[in-house]
Amino acid sequence: MSGARQSIRQPIQQSTRGPVSLRAGVWLALALIGAWLVRNFHWDVVWRAAPFLLRGLEVSWELAILSVLIGLLTGTLLAAARLYGVVGIRHAAIAYIELIRSTPQIMIIFWVYFGVPPLTGTVLNPWPAALIALSLIASAYLAEVVRAGLLSVPAVHRESAYAAGLRGATIFLHIVLPQALRNMLPALIAHIIMIFKVTSLVYLIGVIDFFRAAMLVNNRDFAPYAIYLTVALVYFGCNFVLSTLIRRFDPRYTLSA
Amino acid sequence: MDWPVIWQYRAAILQGLAYTVVISALAIVGSFLFGTLLGYLRLTRHALLTEVVNGYVEIVRNTPLIVKLFFLYYIAGLDAFPSGLVALIVHQSGYISDVITAGFRSISPEQAESGYALGLSGRQVFVFALLPQAARLTIPPLTSQFIEVVKNSAVVMFVGVQELTFETQEISQATLRSFEAATVATLLYVTLTSVIVGGMTSLGRRLRWA
Repeated sequence: MSGARQSIRQPIQQSTRGPVSLRAGVWLALALIGAWLVRNFHWDVVWRAAPFLLRGLEVSWELAILSVLIGLLTGTLLAAARLYGVVGIRHAAIAYIELIRSTPQIMIIFWVYFGVPPLTGTVLNPWPAALIALSLIASAYLAEVVRAGLLSVPAVHRESAYAAGLRGATIFLHIVLPQALRNMLPALIAHIIMIFKVTSLVYLIGVIDFFRAAMLVNNRDFAPYAIYLTVALVYFGCNFVLSTLIRRFDPRYTLSA
Repeated sequence: MDWPVIWQYRAAILQGLAYTVVISALAIVGSFLFGTLLGYLRLTRHALLTEVVNGYVEIVRNTPLIVKLFFLYYIAGLDAFPSGLVALIVHQSGYISDVITAGFRSISPEQAESGYALGLSGRQVFVFALLPQAARLTIPPLTSQFIEVVKNSAVVMFVGVQELTFETQEISQATLRSFEAATVATLLYVTLTSVIVGGMTSLGRRLRWA
């Protein structure tokens, strides 16, 4: 749409958001009122347990970051296999991606920790099992993100590189992938948020992540209001930073208003 | 491998499947209705409403489902099934409202303007010009949202709703046949999501008249 036409649309397309400072002020005021309302909760319990909770948060982030890194590597391979692979490999990649994506995440954690070890006669500790399960999940979801990113690079670029005499691997690594990575950044951050939220499900197998740490503190000291509020606020805070990043990279990504 | 053992527990698996189907179906309907309401409130372009809805969506999208579930069960004191259902609806409605808003926003303004120019009323423009196009545009993303609901319904096992994953864990604890139990459950989940994909695809084909 040309600039002139855009300006005609202004009354319709106009943003409904007020000035940034006013909005921030109103939300800050609401937050302060909320803080005043909950001032009598047992915050001393949370304060005393803070080192333990922070250790749990560290475990959550370790799991999220490691599985996203592993998932990004394997997901890139899967996406390449799905897009450029020969018949058998392509269908194997599609089957894997679709199977993982249509299975509940808890089921996958269950598979890795309870389902497979009896068959192979091995015993997995909870933490490695959690990392494997989260990496499997991340690889399938990120494969689709990478695939969308690869598809977003115009075919002309690949053809031009080919015409310029570059070889397949060089074209992929130096021409297509860098552009794809830039285009898929918002979706990638959205999936980091998703994986970080999924880490709370390793509750099933007893890894002491942030969520289980908070539940353990609550079982010992019983201050549910303060602890649940802390849990919600910490998860929200971590992810809000990330979702703000998404909107910086791509203002149209979500919550367009 | 010991499949006959699983067959002995078919009643438990079917009961779990029934719970999963019921809570997923209710949560799909509920989150679609609530998400559409939220999306509609944003489309009114009322500044305060938009701000409130955006705030709600931002909070809901940035916290894990299990946190909402435990909040409703242990703090709000709801029973297992209602807290699971409400948690699923609250969780997914945020995403669905984005789908709805984006669907209507992506229709070019000419469509409504042409409708008005032809003398249609506001309601006619909405029903005959905008709704069919929005429905067609939102069906693919709504399909993945509904699949998310089915997958997320496994989380309600943590408060003791006896759905499919809960029963799978029970069976695997009773028989130590985790692999077989997980295989059966996974196949059932894949079947459920395939049914949703099939249903939504044929719905999309019916809407071609738009």
